[in-house]
Amino acid sequence: MASISLSKSEKSYIQTSLTSTPPIRGDGRSLLDYRPIALEIGVVPLANGSVRLNIGKSTHEGAGGTEVLAAVKLEVEDVVNGDGVDGGRVVCSVSCSPAAYPHLSSNALDDLSYDMTTVLNQTLAHPSLRPSNLGILPKKKSWGLHLDLIVLADSGNVFDALFMAARAALWDTKVPVTRVVEYQAKKGGAVRQDDMDVEQESGLDTRQVSRAVDFELPDYWDEGETLAGQDRWPVCVTLNIVSPIYYLDATLQEEASTPLRLLLALSFPKTEAPTLKASRLLGPGEVELSQIKALVQDGEKHAGELFAALEAKLREEDVRRNQKARDRFILR
Amino acid sequence: MVDITIKKRSQTDAVVTQRKFFKKTARGKVIKVLRERYLRDDVPCGIQDCQACQGPGMLPSAGESAHPSFSTGHFVLPDTNVFLSQMDLMESNLFSPPTILLQTVLDEVRHRSLPLYNRLKALAKADDKRIWIFYNEYRSETAIIREEGETPNDRNDRGIRKATSWYQSHLPRGRSASPSHQPKVVLLTDDAANRRKAEAEGLAASSVRRYVEGMKDATQLLDVLVSVGDDAIEPTRAVAARSALYSEYLPTATVLAGVKSGQLHQGHFNANAYNYLEGSVNVPAFAKPILLVGRENMNRAVNGDVVAVEVFDETEWKAPADEVIDQESTLKNDDAEDSEEEGEGEEVLGQEKKALRSDEKARPPSEKQPTGRVVGIIKRNWRAYVCHIDTASLSTTLPTSLSQQTVFATPVSRLLPRIRLRTRQAPQLLAQKILVTIDRWPATARYPEGHFVRALGRAESKDAEQESLLLEFDVPYRPFGRAILACLPVEGEGWVVPPKSAAAPEWRDREDLRGLTICSIDPPGCQDIDDALHARQLPNGNIEAGVHIADVSHFVLPDNPMDSEAAARGTTVYLVDKRIDMLPSLLGTNLCSLRPHVERLAFSVIWELSPDAEIVNVRFTKSVIASKAAFTYDEAQLRKDDVHMRDELTQSIRLLNSLAIKLKAGRMAAGALNLASPEVKIHLDSSESSDPIEVEQKELRETNSLVEEFMLLANISVAKKIQDTFPQTAVLRRHLPPPRTNFEKLQDILKKRKGMTLDVSSSGALAASLDKCIDPKEPAFNTLVRIMATRCMLSAEYFCSGSVSRDTFGHYGLATPIYTHFTSPIRRYADVLAHRQLAASIAHAPLHPSLHSKSHVERVLDVVNRRHRMAQMAGRASVEFYVGLALKARGEREQGLVQEEAFVIRTFRNGLNVFVFKLGIEGLVMFKREIKFDVDNYTVTIPAELTGKSDATIAVFDKVTVNIEIEKDKNTQRGKVKMTLAKPVDSRNL
Repeated sequence: MASISLSKSEKSYIQTSLTSTPPIRGDGRSLLDYRPIALEIGVVPLANGSVRLNIGKSTHEGAGGTEVLAAVKLEVEDVVNGDGVDGGRVVCSVSCSPAAYPHLSSNALDDLSYDMTTVLNQTLAHPSLRPSNLGILPKKKSWGLHLDLIVLADSGNVFDALFMAARAALWDTKVPVTRVVEYQAKKGGAVRQDDMDVEQESGLDTRQVSRAVDFELPDYWDEGETLAGQDRWPVCVTLNIVSPIYYLDATLQEEASTPLRLLLALSFPKTEAPTLKASRLLGPGEVELSQIKALVQDGEKHAGELFAALEAKLREEDVRRNQKARDRFILR
Repeated sequence: MVDITIKKRSQTDAVVTQRKFFKKTARGKVIKVLRERYLRDDVPCGIQDCQACQGPGMLPSAGESAHPSFSTGHFVLPDTNVFLSQMDLMESNLFSPPTILLQTVLDEVRHRSLPLYNRLKALAKADDKRIWIFYNEYRSETAIIREEGETPNDRNDRGIRKATSWYQSHLPRGRSASPSHQPKVVLLTDDAANRRKAEAEGLAASSVRRYVEGMKDATQLLDVLVSVGDDAIEPTRAVAARSALYSEYLPTATVLAGVKSGQLHQGHFNANAYNYLEGSVNVPAFAKPILLVGRENMNRAVNGDVVAVEVFDETEWKAPADEVIDQESTLKNDDAEDSEEEGEGEEVLGQEKKALRSDEKARPPSEKQPTGRVVGIIKRNWRAYVCHIDTASLSTTLPTSLSQQTVFATPVSRLLPRIRLRTRQAPQLLAQKILVTIDRWPATARYPEGHFVRALGRAESKDAEQESLLLEFDVPYRPFGRAILACLPVEGEGWVVPPKSAAAPEWRDREDLRGLTICSIDPPGCQDIDDALHARQLPNGNIEAGVHIADVSHFVLPDNPMDSEAAARGTTVYLVDKRIDMLPSLLGTNLCSLRPHVERLAFSVIWELSPDAEIVNVRFTKSVIASKAAFTYDEAQLRKDDVHMRDELTQSIRLLNSLAIKLKAGRMAAGALNLASPEVKIHLDSSESSDPIEVEQKELRETNSLVEEFMLLANISVAKKIQDTFPQTAVLRRHLPPPRTNFEKLQDILKKRKGMTLDVSSSGALAASLDKCIDPKEPAFNTLVRIMATRCMLSAEYFCSGSVSRDTFGHYGLATPIYTHFTSPIRRYADVLAHRQLAASIAHAPLHPSLHSKSHVERVLDVVNRRHRMAQMAGRASVEFYVGLALKARGEREQGLVQEEAFVIRTFRNGLNVFVFKLGIEGLVMFKREIKFDVDNYTVTIPAELTGKSDATIAVFDKVTVNIEIEKDKNTQRGKVKMTLAKPVDSRNL
């Protein structure tokens, strides 16, 4: 699904230089190098979490590169009558800006957006990743987490960018603290005749009837608490396979000349072993099953490095946005 | 040129400069709201001659040096809680140190209590106060941001302290005085922790009590202080040991949840005027109101509070008591100082239990009402109440002492409980009417605790009574402020309609109707003439009739101070000897009033009517008229009836009259009700003394109905027009059909006592059956039934046409599908709105945007509806007061006994409720001895052994003769009408 078309000779030229020893890439990187990644969180003030991420912005011009904007919006959803799910749900959608793909027709653009949405939604909306603090009222109300991503510019490796932006936006997301309000009818002092009809509480009865009917915001100033399971949101590495080698972070031209790409989304929980959350093979090329295992192992290594780098940057952003901003305000 | 510096930040600073918060909407969604904050260096401090700010100032530069603790001068900077709990102190005119009001405080007050916020805003504008609002959140030096983990409260407290310290350091910059003579900025707060922190930062801080104690008017001001916090009035010793008298309220959140889930019911608490141990709450879930029996179940609700009620099982439902239980007589022995002690309490409770006993089995199940108890208060509607000090509660050992003592204040209204308050001025306040507010009602106290606000004057003096009446019904009566008077035409009294010319703005789109023979017909002494009429024969045999209404909307422009004031007042209030105007009197009684022989601006409705009074055509126009005469109803009647008079004016009146008769007949045929209310007229001897007075029933003449019919016609025509043009926001008036259950009791009484039936299936059927309720021996009987039927109905209300469904627009009493008020814009605000909408619908003037907004119109009409109701009650109370005075005067003239005929309208286990026709008053006849009471037949029987004669049975609708006395309650100095039976039996000894 290359988004630009190249002539056969160009493709062959790029492939040949990638497989030569030493390999040669258009921008002088080695095979496993990433382009510089820029990231800023909190760019959409009205969203509950947001990020702008750029891969490969040219240092001279301040432009170019793959650019993705991600924003998380939390909405109260009704479980009984609305489309909410008890305990909350995550919905991802990706839309591609026509400016990012000027040569595509609007139908093709829709198809492309749909493909990306499918990959992200299937991975991130999976029940195994659902944060535990999206519930508001058991069986009645819950938060619907809507993660919307826009591809503003594409110069290759858009899936890595999308997953990274998604992870950063979810990291930034604060869930407003809600308090459950309930009404429990008090049994009056008078003993009533119908007391015998009251069901005896029994250990066998596992139903949990909640009397909660509504919720309130105890501290409306507060942005809220972070999403639970922050560390589990996956990052993705794309292994671009030009047999016998593979390389990372392809540019558009490289992507167009690569017959096969392997997408690996990996999650690195703090206390558990890394897990593979999703994998996709894209492109017309072929790969032998025996190779896959080695590729996945390599992928895990690269993803781990990416994860650690992203983690460090996110923590730094947090400090910049809160502590440093406050200090600057006081010293102004 | 003033330099404006706005510091604009880059995106990265957003965290600091944007204030984000979440809001939960009524539908349960959560919205994130973002506010951008721009910080400035030129927010002025408000101190006069401040060199640094050079802004406008209203605080004296040296501060206030009268307070002994701060002899070098000081400014007061109160925190939020001071305004939340001590608003009466801040409003007192004895308390006027230069005050700095922070924006943080203002915002917090608004968030906590809207009524208090409105009072605070009014206070900040008051002329006799020196209050400066300092926008500390927008001044770059005083702005703060919330720290990680800081509660909103702590953040605000920190902001207040920061502003205090800024002021303190700002002061020297604007002046040259030496530092030792610097005025201080005193942080006024009752929060001890906050005070400690402030003192640690080197700021002056004081609690409210300590501050007030140092003032020279401390004695009077300390009474105004609300008793809160630890340093408040000493608690009664027994408090700690005693168990709670009432159950605690559920937490607010729980209550709201209960209401939402339908397990609790929310409604206004209505106390019962006849029985202080009973109250009711109207809720949509039940046809009948929920009954609350006994103190514990009423659980500290005060009349008017919005409460949450839990309904008991149906087996525990009760019928309302059929007995009159008077708080004063039952609780006579309750002592204010010791009322909390065990022993006394038991005795009182025993008495109350006795009072509450009722043989439930005797009551038919149909009378049972849903019964429940109050479990929470959703909104307190406490205000200042007019009270008397109960003499008996004064400590006997120190009757004239100035030391602080606890006394009972008895509210004038029978619907309210006694209020305990502590005062040093008790002896002076004895014979006075005083204003008292309730501060709190703890679960351990039988009575609410309150504090003294101010004295209104000697009881029964006219001024005190009048003011207390206005306060009691919440009528705004202050004179119009400067900003409002500035909206009047500059010519003042000298304003005239300019000569007709195309250039004059007054003449734009106005018809010249000065040539028409127009006259006005009003009650005698009417100064605000809002309507005038004319009629003339047209060549085609039809009749042209016109109603001309004062063009108030020409003078009262939307959204200026005068308009807002009029909207807030809602209506002019008529008391017997005073009128509280909605508009400044220059407009009401002069410029807008359609006086005779002068040119006035009018809004005219002109019909072409067929001789049978069918509308052929109607048009609306702004006009200039010159009324030819102003008649009273009597004069117009005489003129019409005098066959020798043949002038144009008289012809016009006759023509109008003939049409009115047909209009009325048409209306009656459509099912309009002929309602009655007990209206009496008070004759004042002279306007100054107004002492000896006479009461007379109002008489209605043909000309009354003439004016009424044409006003109705005008209102209906206008209502149709504005509803067509503005279907979403038209200002209309409706009268909902009463629920059938309201009539059940009256129907039953009529059937059992008189064998008459009342058909309430429609207004027409009701009108017809009311016409049949005639007792040939007793002409007044029909009126009595009409009065009682009227009481069963709902009251008419203004509404916004877009807010209710189309099929509920109808006016039940008038039997018209649509109605509005258009004809009295001088004295009703709804009419002003209707005028504006009509002017827009004939393309005379564009409609102000606010009248396109449904929510705005709804809000305004809510206020107007409330004011309207209050104004009616105030008027009635004023009449009652004068009837009382008249009775007293008559009693003195007639040596004691005043006897009048009265009808029995209700029977109780121990008394009768009677209605005295001639005086238009209701009264209670109580029996102290046992009598027989027949609930089903509405009779009481006074046994022979009590009177020495034969058994006397008295039933509802019976005519009796009563002795009427004005008795002064020994304890409260409250004048009270006391009635005893004179015929058929003398009940004075019973």
